[in-house]
Amino acid sequence: MADQLARAEPTPCYHCGEPVPDGVSLVVEIDGEPRPMCCPGCRAVAGLISGSGLDAFYRRRTAYSERPVEEDGDFAAHYRVYDDPEVAAGFSTTDDNGQVSARLLLGGITCAACTWLIEQSLSRVPGVLDASVHLQQSRLDVRLDPTVLPLSELFARVESLGYRPQPFRASTQREQSATEYRADLRRLGVAGFGMMQVGMFAVALHAGDLQGIEEQYRGLLRGFSLLVSSFVVYYAAGTFFRTAWRHLRQGALVMDLPVALAIGLAWLASAWATVSGTGQVYFDSVVMFTFFLLLGRFLEARVRQRYAVTWFDAEAALPDAVTVRRDGQWQTQPRRQLQPGDRILVKPGQTVPADARVLGGAGAVREDTFNGEHLPRHVRSGDAVYAGTVNVESALEAEVLVDFAHSRLAALQHSVEMGRSGKPRLARLADRIAAWFVAGVLLVTSATALAWLQIDPAQALWVSLSVLVISCPCALALATPAALTAAAGALRGSGVIVRGENALEALSRCTHLVFDKTGTLTAGQLSLDRVHPLADIAENELLAIAAALQQWSNHPISRAFAGVERTLDCDSVDQVVGAGLDGVRGGQHYRMGSAAFCRDLCPALPQPPDDALYWVALCSDERPLAWFGFGDHTRAEAPAVVAAAERAGIHTGLLSGDSSPRGPQLATELGMAVIGTGLQPREKLEKVREMQAGGAVVAMVGDGLNDAPVLGAADASFAVAGATDLARAQADFVLAADLGGVTRTWRKARACRRIILQNFAWALGYNLCAIPLAAAGLVPPWAAAIGMSLSSLLVVTNSLRLNRRETAH
Amino acid sequence: MDSLYLLIPVALVFVALGIKLLLWAIDSGQYDDLDKEAWRILNDDEGQDSHAQNSSAQDSGDPKP
Repeated sequence: MADQLARAEPTPCYHCGEPVPDGVSLVVEIDGEPRPMCCPGCRAVAGLISGSGLDAFYRRRTAYSERPVEEDGDFAAHYRVYDDPEVAAGFSTTDDNGQVSARLLLGGITCAACTWLIEQSLSRVPGVLDASVHLQQSRLDVRLDPTVLPLSELFARVESLGYRPQPFRASTQREQSATEYRADLRRLGVAGFGMMQVGMFAVALHAGDLQGIEEQYRGLLRGFSLLVSSFVVYYAAGTFFRTAWRHLRQGALVMDLPVALAIGLAWLASAWATVSGTGQVYFDSVVMFTFFLLLGRFLEARVRQRYAVTWFDAEAALPDAVTVRRDGQWQTQPRRQLQPGDRILVKPGQTVPADARVLGGAGAVREDTFNGEHLPRHVRSGDAVYAGTVNVESALEAEVLVDFAHSRLAALQHSVEMGRSGKPRLARLADRIAAWFVAGVLLVTSATALAWLQIDPAQALWVSLSVLVISCPCALALATPAALTAAAGALRGSGVIVRGENALEALSRCTHLVFDKTGTLTAGQLSLDRVHPLADIAENELLAIAAALQQWSNHPISRAFAGVERTLDCDSVDQVVGAGLDGVRGGQHYRMGSAAFCRDLCPALPQPPDDALYWVALCSDERPLAWFGFGDHTRAEAPAVVAAAERAGIHTGLLSGDSSPRGPQLATELGMAVIGTGLQPREKLEKVREMQAGGAVVAMVGDGLNDAPVLGAADASFAVAGATDLARAQADFVLAADLGGVTRTWRKARACRRIILQNFAWALGYNLCAIPLAAAGLVPPWAAAIGMSLSSLLVVTNSLRLNRRETAH
Repeated sequence: MDSLYLLIPVALVFVALGIKLLLWAIDSGQYDDLDKEAWRILNDDEGQDSHAQNSSAQDSGDPKP
């Protein structure tokens, strides 16, 4: 990691952590110190947070915030559609006093401090009676008085804090997982209480075994143990019996079978011993089993479900409110009411709400949703535009062609589902080992029972029972979840959120690491790379002229000038769609844009330099002034990530939707193979399928909507910081800070696999020693209990070694 | 030792109460969001302004330029 630290770091934005572009000097005073900001969006959010006296947010957070999306300023107008009672009914209820309880899904919650910020900030807004944020579900529950604060204002308020609110729509899957979580917790709690009680009785009984105890007190203690453990077995362990039975009927051997057998038989035999006053009781083992097994499963389920945000759908990328022509005038209407044939108006900067044909106006749409390309496509009357693309230049009037279900975006969503369902299931290590272990234990137990029936029939039940008890499924059951929990915790601390079910295990076996280009290996944004002056004018003056023109533009390259200080102003600027900008300053005419557009004004303009950049010309009516070269910068940490993977024997490759020569060039620079460029989302998916069919275990790193299908299909997948919600929902790992998280994650995944194997080795080794002793009838119950606990403790301690962080950041 | 006949049932009554209380807490949603509560118990101090001054100098671990 030394090479990474030695590299000169650009100043990170204090709000979002992205590097502050050269020439940007935005500052917000937080905690009495000026802090650098990367963009006006971050400055606005940070200014609001600091201005409300909530500076503490920055001290408390454990991860950088997300960079706010720059949109046209008027949030409230955009959200006004939620004031419509019919629309609001979808996610809110009104009680008898007229108070509204609403549920919002928030994008951009990166750590627990975000919940504090939102709750604190909202509780100061007049009209909000109660606000609480559910971190795991990124959900805001709020109760408000709609006469003081309309819902649209609430949305706008949340948006101004830098989060992306949308209505929270209930889903059966989500309800079900919440119910299961509570049921698991209830069982765990009951088993825990039971374990403590029965454990206390058991200490007295074991002591009695050693130093003698009166028959009447032994009967009393056993009786109460029976009472408590019966309740625990019925209430908490019932789930094992049901699962084992369900699988047995289908002829499958699962871990739950010996568990159910051990618990059931041990309880039955102990109950018989209690009633008849003979033999030995195993009540403490019964409840301890139950508790540890439930604990292991609870921890595992928590890791798996923690960030399982699978409910973001593609439709959420579309605006809820659209401008549509009704009764001869433009009206704002809910998008869901759009019909094919409606005329809609899409303003610059807005997302196109439906597949439509342009009727009036000419403009450009950014289609990175579908192809990852960040330069817009020009459209004119008669051309089709697609739902989910962004109109960048001028307002477009269009006729809706189809409803959402038949749109190209819905087709993309469909291929996401296809990708997920076609994903090859890598059998889990634990499942494979468990089946063998179960068969082995059952075999040994039966053999023991048969042998003891020959030797001493009276002892047969007790000895075979002690074999079942001592085989300790606990250590085996804890081996995987303890390691997974520890690894996920450590990764989270280093800026990687683990979401996927078997992702860590799949990643540990990954043979191919595949990257998307735009937004993943590169920053996904054009920035000014080179200024090539053509006249004898200082560079900063050229920049000032360009910036003065560009502030009137919505084109992606205008962002590259956002940080340039405004020293000049133009008298008037016209945006010529598909060509460039035309401005007048002090009687002189300027043009900035494509070569053909500028040659119209100034025929002397030479060819642009040869470098593979996106060149834009600047000229006046007298002479050519400059060529500006724009490029999408490679992320600084990308070379190290690729190199580390190659060193470890993981093949790296590029799979890009962009068809420009920049892709192969970048791949060569970084030393990775080119798997394909210029591909549609579906073609990317097929490429990955092909590789998987050839035996490769593929991990994919991507960011955009167009990557979502392939992220779903890959064996393990990463979404980088700033990825779209749909891409995040498909990814197993979400990188909060930088691409370096990829390296940290696969290293941790390999370490995790090693630890799991060690745990299994220990559990099996322990059984190999203990089972023969038990089969020989040499193990008293108290020794079995101690052995079992120590074994579980060892497994947990070993797993905790994964908790160490690899590098501080 | 005869007191055991009274004390153990009394203990069991308390256990039953404890379980009842726990189940009530789970059902009322108090355990639904463990991550947030784990963080909040350490951070939700209202008197934040008093120590804002002295901790601002070596704060939050963000990389310094």
